Amino acid sequence: MKLDIVHDLQSVYRKMVDSTSRPGLISDLKKEAALIEAEDNKGCTPSLLLLAQTLFDQEVSFKVFSTQADTVTQTINQLTYAKPTETKNADYLLILQDAKKGSLEEAIINAKAGTLKNPHTSATIIVEVDSVTSGEALLLKGPGIHTTELIFLDLNENWLESRQEKNKEYPLGIDLIFIDQHHQLLSLPRTTQITRNRVTV
Amino acid sequence: MNTAYNFAFFDEGSKREIRRATLKAIAIPGYQVPFASREMPIGRGWGTGGLQLTLSLIGRSDVLKVIDQGSDESVNAVNIKKLVSDTTGVITTDHTREATLIQSRHRIPEVPLNKDQILILQVPLPEPLRDYEPSENETKKLHAEKEYSGAWLMLFEQIMKYGSMTTGADHPVMVHDRYVMAPSPIPRFDNPKMHESEALILLGAGREKKVYAVPPYTKVVSLDFEDYPFEPESFLDKHCRLCGSTGVFLDELVDEETNETFYQCNDTSYCIEILNEVEPFGVK
Repeated sequence: MKLDIVHDLQSVYRKMVDSTSRPGLISDLKKEAALIEAEDNKGCTPSLLLLAQTLFDQEVSFKVFSTQADTVTQTINQLTYAKPTETKNADYLLILQDAKKGSLEEAIINAKAGTLKNPHTSATIIVEVDSVTSGEALLLKGPGIHTTELIFLDLNENWLESRQEKNKEYPLGIDLIFIDQHHQLLSLPRTTQITRNRVTV
Repeated sequence: MNTAYNFAFFDEGSKREIRRATLKAIAIPGYQVPFASREMPIGRGWGTGGLQLTLSLIGRSDVLKVIDQGSDESVNAVNIKKLVSDTTGVITTDHTREATLIQSRHRIPEVPLNKDQILILQVPLPEPLRDYEPSENETKKLHAEKEYSGAWLMLFEQIMKYGSMTTGADHPVMVHDRYVMAPSPIPRFDNPKMHESEALILLGAGREKKVYAVPPYTKVVSLDFEDYPFEPESFLDKHCRLCGSTGVFLDELVDEETNETFYQCNDTSYCIEILNEVEPFGVK
């Protein structure tokens, strides 16, 4: 079966809505990802292509962080007509798993954060990670979360501090979306406050 | 289902544009995100904002409920329901509990919403500051600077003139301690339902080309003063003459022949559900 750009992408979008309105809620894109055919995804993971097809078109600009950035950029551009651009201008920043260490931090620091008049003109950063269900324990608070939410994120980068610095002047800031190897999606909009959950014995 | 149209009426490009705006709106609660607002087969100002949100969200397994001022059967609700189900083939329902998407004009249903539902409110005037500031550029600046003294001043003037806040519907709220937001013309009675709601609430203004959102579990406070606290409409000592419910939003009706005043549930599907519960047993 081939990916249906009407129905399958609708279902991806609804999962993004669920995960963004309830930070910490992990959505499963396995079913839709399985429909992306291997020969189409030159250099991209299926879940990244799903998100790109759901959100990108000629009105959108993006920037890829990867060792194969050129191939991936070309694939996404040809598939969606979205325009490749520099980090500071991009609507979407894609940090692939094979990006060099520090890319996420660099992206967060340089991404556009919107203006006080137009905070929606900020960037969304999509990050590929090993797992969004194991790794460092993080405690989430904020809109969409009843009391607190505990998540586990596998990421060897010092991104939390950069994110906090970038989002300190709410409503300015960046929104993060994580997708993992098993096509699980986690969304951390700018309103979510994250603290490291250190377990003391 | 009419297959001459795309699924959910829109082309995919239009849906993508609304979807991007909606995701930003969820990330910045209460902030009005501009969007393109396409031409719709119903007039602007007749629920096109809500309709566009519904069409961008809806999938084949959704169950849709549309209400207009609490009624499932008024012209606006029926037409929107017809358009959506004709172009998508989804099932529609009157029962609030069964619905996954609830598009509403000017009411939040009486039955508490749950986490699997999305409430979509139709908004005629999304800008709570428009009453005293006609320029969009200026209101955007006021929002940017969180300069909301005008909003309080409006309420203050009402108290000076009439002795109480006279907003009726569309009483402004503060969302997540940052943005003053128009909750759409829901009665004050419904304002508290937005606070820490279990369901995601999306608001769409088609004519004004804005979408905004209140995510679940978000702080929503109706604007008021320490000595003049916010008060929802009170229906103390009153009950629905059909189902006997108390503590719900009631419509005041007058029998023109006898001049008698009586009250009836504004949320008709809730009223019918209560009636159907009661009748088989013959007791209330």
